[in-house]
Amino acid sequence: MSQPAIHIKGLTKSYGDVTALRGVDMTIKQGEFFGLLGPNGAGKTTIINILTGLIFRDKGITEVFGKDTVKDFRFTRSKIGIAAQELSVDWFFPIEKLLYFQAGYYGLTTQKAKPKIDDLLERLGLSGKRESRLRQLSGGMKRRFQLAKALVHDPDIIILDEPTAGVDVELRRSLWQYLRDLHSQGRTILLTTHYIEEAELLCENVAIIDEGKILKEGSPKDLTRELGTAGITVQLGNMENEIESFLDKFTFTRKENRIHFLVNNPDSAMPEIILQLSKANVQIQSIETNISSLEDVFLNLTGKGINE
Amino acid sequence: MNWVGLNTLINREVGRFFSVYRQTVLPGLISSGLYIVIFGFTLEQRISEIQGIPYTLFILPGLIMMNTLTNATANTSSSMLQMKLLQQLPDLLTAPLSGFEISLAYIIGGTVRGVVNGILVLMLGMFLTDLTIVDPVGTIAFIFLVSWAFASMGLILGQIAESWDQLAMMQNFFLTPLSFLGGIFYSITMLPEWAQSLSFINPIYYMINGIRYTILGVSDSSFSVSFWMALILTVLFSTVAMLLMQSGKKIKQ
Repeated sequence: MSQPAIHIKGLTKSYGDVTALRGVDMTIKQGEFFGLLGPNGAGKTTIINILTGLIFRDKGITEVFGKDTVKDFRFTRSKIGIAAQELSVDWFFPIEKLLYFQAGYYGLTTQKAKPKIDDLLERLGLSGKRESRLRQLSGGMKRRFQLAKALVHDPDIIILDEPTAGVDVELRRSLWQYLRDLHSQGRTILLTTHYIEEAELLCENVAIIDEGKILKEGSPKDLTRELGTAGITVQLGNMENEIESFLDKFTFTRKENRIHFLVNNPDSAMPEIILQLSKANVQIQSIETNISSLEDVFLNLTGKGINE
Repeated sequence: MNWVGLNTLINREVGRFFSVYRQTVLPGLISSGLYIVIFGFTLEQRISEIQGIPYTLFILPGLIMMNTLTNATANTSSSMLQMKLLQQLPDLLTAPLSGFEISLAYIIGGTVRGVVNGILVLMLGMFLTDLTIVDPVGTIAFIFLVSWAFASMGLILGQIAESWDQLAMMQNFFLTPLSFLGGIFYSITMLPEWAQSLSFINPIYYMINGIRYTILGVSDSSFSVSFWMALILTVLFSTVAMLLMQSGKKIKQ
């Protein structure tokens, strides 16, 4: 059997008094599209920063293709391309030059890197901007440049830390399509996200992480089958009134005017929900029952919504 | 050893300061020219020769040294701090580059800037005065050595500093005063005895007198002491800079 692309065992990390990771175990097979799903502060970025050498681990094993990420850092880092969540800034060089630098750090000469850089700039719609400085690019272009930088040395593993955070719907869709293409070429992809839809749509397997611990791992389908329950989503018209006290018998998450209830039997729960919302004197714009989703799984496992 | 990576980072560091030469090369040249014209030519009529050397020529090696070491220090310290503050450092730290390679590339970048600035001021001095260099090879070698030492020191400062304010404090409260007190504009024999003793603990005093010896053949201190001081500082600062980078202090958690 081939080595896993990424293998993590018993990984712990603390920042002073704050424990970020409490014994994380995680294995990603070669060629897998894997999602690390969790709210902000769950420990997702800490895991990938340890894998890429940006943070020291306290205890545990972190391996890439069977090699230790500290002892064999040259090998493991050359296999990984990372698109970080935070966008970097550079005042001095045009973006094409920055890509040549990035390729150079990975041992590629200008001559070797040229075809790849030309191709990436073309595919990601940046070829007209090769002479531009980063500050002259729009937010979406910066995000695409970040991806180009991760791919410039043709890595086997691509790590994307919240790649679509803060991007518009159109760009998000085109990035998803690009990631699917990369995956179909045999790349292993590790995606961290707190967008449920993203994980459900793209990932073959997901690990749900909260407070530095992996709570459950599996395919989105298996997880929803095992842990999901049906849900009812209510869209409210007005939000002036306090409603939480009317709904204390339900498990639910709330995002602005949208409330998602986790219920076992939607048919019997719906009249009670409508009654309680009417008592709270709020206007119901729409109501729908939905089949189980990862959102339900997350709620079931953690007792809270992913954006809370 | 990742040679291509090392070479790339050196190119980046050198290209960075050349791309903003109006901030990194011209100011030192202009201020040195002004020192030569204003202090040199005007005071030369009032100050008699020092150690048999006309005043304008006497201050020239000190100006070269001040330019060399401030530029070498500024290149590494500002580049490192900038990379930290602008989120560029993760690109280096996640690449297959060791701490040794990263620090070496930074130090070479800073050394190139120190040498370029030092040589340009030397050429300006030769253009404005009738300077004849006693030992040209020794002069270049000494500029190189001091550039390396102070580029290493700058890298240490850049890695430790958390803000531009802290970096400016090092420059304004230590480097500039020590340069001026190192005897750029005077021979320490012109100072009272207590002030002379203080000069002996100022490392920049030895740098200035070392280069004054290679250029003019005169010096307040023995050349071998200056040379050994420059060499010790080079080895000391380089080692600390490389170990610090390897340790990841203030750049990795």
